[in-house]
Amino acid sequence: MIHSLFLVNSSGDIFLEKHWKSVVSRSVCDYFFEAQERASEPENVPPVIPTPHHYLISVLRHRIYFVAVIQSEVPPLFVIEFLHRVVDTFQDYFGVCTEAAIKDNVVVVYELLEEMLDNGFPLATESNILKELIKPPTILRTVVNTITGSTNVGEQLPTGQLSVVPWRRTGVKYTNNEAYFDVVEEIDAIIDKSGSTITAEIQGVIDACVKLSGMPDLTLSFMNPRLLDDVSFHPCVRFKRWEAERILSFIPPDGNFRLLSYHVSSQNLVAIPVYVKHNITFREGSSQGRFELTLGPKQTMGKAVESVLVSSQLPRGVLNVNLNPSQGTYTFDPVTKLLSWDVGKINPQKLPSLKGSMSLQAGASKPDENPTINIQFKIQQMAISGLKVNRLDMYGEKYKPFKGIKYMTKAGKVPEGRRDEAALP
Amino acid sequence: MPYLGSEETLKELKRALSNPSIQADRLRYRNVVLRVIRLMTQGLDVSPLFMEMVKASASVDMVQKKLLYLYMCTYAPLKPDLALLAINTLRKDCADSNPMVRGLALRNMCNLRMPGITEYIQQPVLAGLRDKASYVRRVAVLGCAKMQNLQPEAEIDGAVVNELYGLLRDPDPVVMVNCLRALEEMLKAEGGVVINKPIAHHLLNRLKELDSWGQSDTLTFLLRYEPRDEAELFDILNLLDGHLQSSHGAVATATLRLFLRLAAAHPAVQADALSRAQGPLLAMCASASRELRFAALCHVRRLLRSVATQYAAHYKRFFCSYSEPGYIRLCKMDILVELVNDENVALVLEELRAYCTDVLPELAQAAIFAIGRIGQMYSERCLGILVSLLGLRQEHITSAVLQTFRDLVWLCPQCTTAVCRAVASLEDSIQDSEGKQALIWLLGAHGDKISSAPYVLEDYIDSLKAELSSLVKLELLTATVRLFLSRPAETQDMMGRLLHYCIEEEGDMCVRDRALLYYSLLLCGVEDIRRILGGPTTDASLGVIAGHSEEPVDSWAPHFNTLELLLARGCVHMLAGRLPAPPSDGPHSSLSLSLEPALSPESFERHWLELDVSHVGPVTCPWPHCLPEALQAALQLVQIQVLAFSRPQSLPWKAYLYSHGDGTLILAEVLRDSTQGADHLQLTMKQVPRDKHVLQGFVAVLKSALQALSRDTS
Repeated sequence: MIHSLFLVNSSGDIFLEKHWKSVVSRSVCDYFFEAQERASEPENVPPVIPTPHHYLISVLRHRIYFVAVIQSEVPPLFVIEFLHRVVDTFQDYFGVCTEAAIKDNVVVVYELLEEMLDNGFPLATESNILKELIKPPTILRTVVNTITGSTNVGEQLPTGQLSVVPWRRTGVKYTNNEAYFDVVEEIDAIIDKSGSTITAEIQGVIDACVKLSGMPDLTLSFMNPRLLDDVSFHPCVRFKRWEAERILSFIPPDGNFRLLSYHVSSQNLVAIPVYVKHNITFREGSSQGRFELTLGPKQTMGKAVESVLVSSQLPRGVLNVNLNPSQGTYTFDPVTKLLSWDVGKINPQKLPSLKGSMSLQAGASKPDENPTINIQFKIQQMAISGLKVNRLDMYGEKYKPFKGIKYMTKAGKVPEGRRDEAALP
Repeated sequence: MPYLGSEETLKELKRALSNPSIQADRLRYRNVVLRVIRLMTQGLDVSPLFMEMVKASASVDMVQKKLLYLYMCTYAPLKPDLALLAINTLRKDCADSNPMVRGLALRNMCNLRMPGITEYIQQPVLAGLRDKASYVRRVAVLGCAKMQNLQPEAEIDGAVVNELYGLLRDPDPVVMVNCLRALEEMLKAEGGVVINKPIAHHLLNRLKELDSWGQSDTLTFLLRYEPRDEAELFDILNLLDGHLQSSHGAVATATLRLFLRLAAAHPAVQADALSRAQGPLLAMCASASRELRFAALCHVRRLLRSVATQYAAHYKRFFCSYSEPGYIRLCKMDILVELVNDENVALVLEELRAYCTDVLPELAQAAIFAIGRIGQMYSERCLGILVSLLGLRQEHITSAVLQTFRDLVWLCPQCTTAVCRAVASLEDSIQDSEGKQALIWLLGAHGDKISSAPYVLEDYIDSLKAELSSLVKLELLTATVRLFLSRPAETQDMMGRLLHYCIEEEGDMCVRDRALLYYSLLLCGVEDIRRILGGPTTDASLGVIAGHSEEPVDSWAPHFNTLELLLARGCVHMLAGRLPAPPSDGPHSSLSLSLEPALSPESFERHWLELDVSHVGPVTCPWPHCLPEALQAALQLVQIQVLAFSRPQSLPWKAYLYSHGDGTLILAEVLRDSTQGADHLQLTMKQVPRDKHVLQGFVAVLKSALQALSRDTS
């Protein structure tokens, strides 16, 4: 299925290759490099590239392309999901998944790739099981290993492989039994110049860290389960029960896992927690323009909006800006024309603002592009959709676990944008 | 890779590896090996150290073993004689008490990829199949396939195949899936692993135990299974139901594909499955990974051909954001065009309007083309937007707008006046040839409504020498002659110049010939040329063909969840919008059979055995009483190859035929049976991939050939 894997960095060098079947020459990547050159931005390289004898399927994560070489017809989603799993595993093992980290741990990388695929087919991909086969490198363990000469490799086969519940190993034992759930919501919205919402949706996930002994059977219920539109579950969740009672019932995997991800898209339910007031004007015939921006919180249920970062792509005609932020710092890159303002926390009593002037190219006509404003932020202890966990119960084991649930909201990968049509002629 | 001081490094490593004091210290020994591997991964050739490395593999250290296996697998093909030395160590490891060591050794032994290795690995692999640790069995099963790959010409060992079929009942689910994968690879020549009823039901029942990769693979294998009756079919669908909403995209789409395939005869079930899979697909369209999003969007784009209304309410999810890469945005625009209806058209157009000023010209143009496609239904709204875009005076935008104008005028005659007004007030010049062609066509076809048409064309004629594209020149020729018909006085002089230049000085043969053609047409008289060139300049009926027609689910279901879907980037759509296909008059006339690529008797036999019958029926036509050789020659003329036939006078008489048509392969058996009367012909056909129209066409061709032949011989 997956014939070979090449890791390519953003400057177009292959820095790692692994072949599961016969060796495929590096020259197959030339087709990829061609596409890379054509693409204006790194992320514009198409994920599937056909070549005369192979298909190249790539994912770009952490500025590294993971290029899989495929020789026959495969379900594309399968390969893409697998490549992401590889990246997730690297990240899990090394903390970060950078070129340097991969090069430093090249041996563990090869060990992992060897265990994850055999003859091009996925073998062991669950992080629980992999970690028993190959122990992740930690500073402490590296020190211990250097002294004692022991290794990172488990001497025994993973025990969980034959348990009745494939995602959980048997014989788990903890002294402190605890289960933590993080409800993280990301809000994606596009707002037009008058402040009305064009589209808004919430992507939510519940990530869990469960460290419970034995075979616990958990049920999690929500105050308002009908809120969730498209839900997709970890395989451990009993789907029938959810359909009938809207209760999550499951035997959890051991350790960290994503319990479910969901989607809230009904407009009336999605409230945007911040607002922007702005005034960007260029005058005809003058080489000066005015820039004014004010941020304020809205519908945050008293929670503070933190880590606010505003960025805007200014028109090409702007040479420089001279702005005055009421708080935080701003930078302007005269080459890319990217203005970014690190606001920090929004204080509702004293709203942060950024005011000043822009200098334009002399003699150039009034810019007709429409600057967009992107906002990133975080709100702790609140799920913007209003989703609330009602209760968490455990059956099947006698002990009393420690339970915790945390909420967080942040701006999504596709941040809130504001289309400023006012600048159009 | 040139590497400074590489020889020195190699020598030093060689010394270190054979230094007994280092060998005695486990940690130092391993570190030296580690350095060798590091150099290897950097592309340096460290194969001269093979001898020393083989010695190092006789270690108890697990990491060192893994490193050395990696080293050996890389260099064994280069040093086969030295690698044989390592085999002994590997075979010993295959009998180790630790299952992990056993599995590791077995896996790497199978990966050595050097000639003659099979005789050494056969026994450990077979022993591995019966190992008590599932880890080793998993490796051994795939080892069988690897062994087969090492010597592709060798006969397949029936015992191994049977053993693998037996291992499908292994308690470990991964072993089971690996068996399927291994069998598929080994039996590729025979059409892959056979899924019969017991196996299919066994697989379905164990689907729950598998990990997502295994599920996805198994579901793909199950595509081969054909349920016997309705009851069985619905049993299977019930088992699959839960997987439609799996959180893994690969599993959800694989299940949907299987659903569509199994329920091909039940459109209601298909529709239900499609609506149930909508949630997971939409969620994938918003997934954090760009690549997944793209794959999901491509799937949705294909789904929309049949179930556009289902997704119409979700159109806002397909609005693009600025941070998305181009390929996703192109896909989303395609989808938006499909989703337009009376309620959302205003918002969708407003959104597309915003993309038209994108920094990337290709995206901006794609957005304009999208507006143009919507314009085929909502022409007034779109015209307003397109005309206002001309005011931006950006070259790539103007060019794209003109191209959409040309299509709009063709498909919606009511736009003509507005388009002509906009073109008449156009001030900027266009540089790219696509845009030029569109403008010149508009000027030629509707020159009577554009007052400045002759003057604009004249500019083009005057600068003809600098024009590089011959397509523009061809367009210019046609347009000028057309304009001459509607406005002779203003055009005559420049047409003369144009024809003179094209005939006397032009280097491109096509352009010259076209000019000569027009010249001789002009000699025939104005009335004739008017009849030839003055065809319709609009054709509203074409809009129906280029526009929306719901396709049956089965037309795309076979490609669902395959790479093909991701490669067919919107270009097909754009073409469909721009060049309306000629209306076809029935499936027969459009069918073209061909003999290429030729099929060998062996591959015919293989296909015949593995395919299901697509059509059985009598052929109602008299039997031509001629020699089979004559039949063979006659059928060859209509591109049907007769591969084998019985002796002339024997009964029952059989002939095997094949042909390729529209990308499908058709195999047929003609049976002449005396029990049914000597003239009765029974036709059995098999086809891959299935396409009813092609099959009908094939029968028609065959019939007419036989009829002609019997007329000739009687």
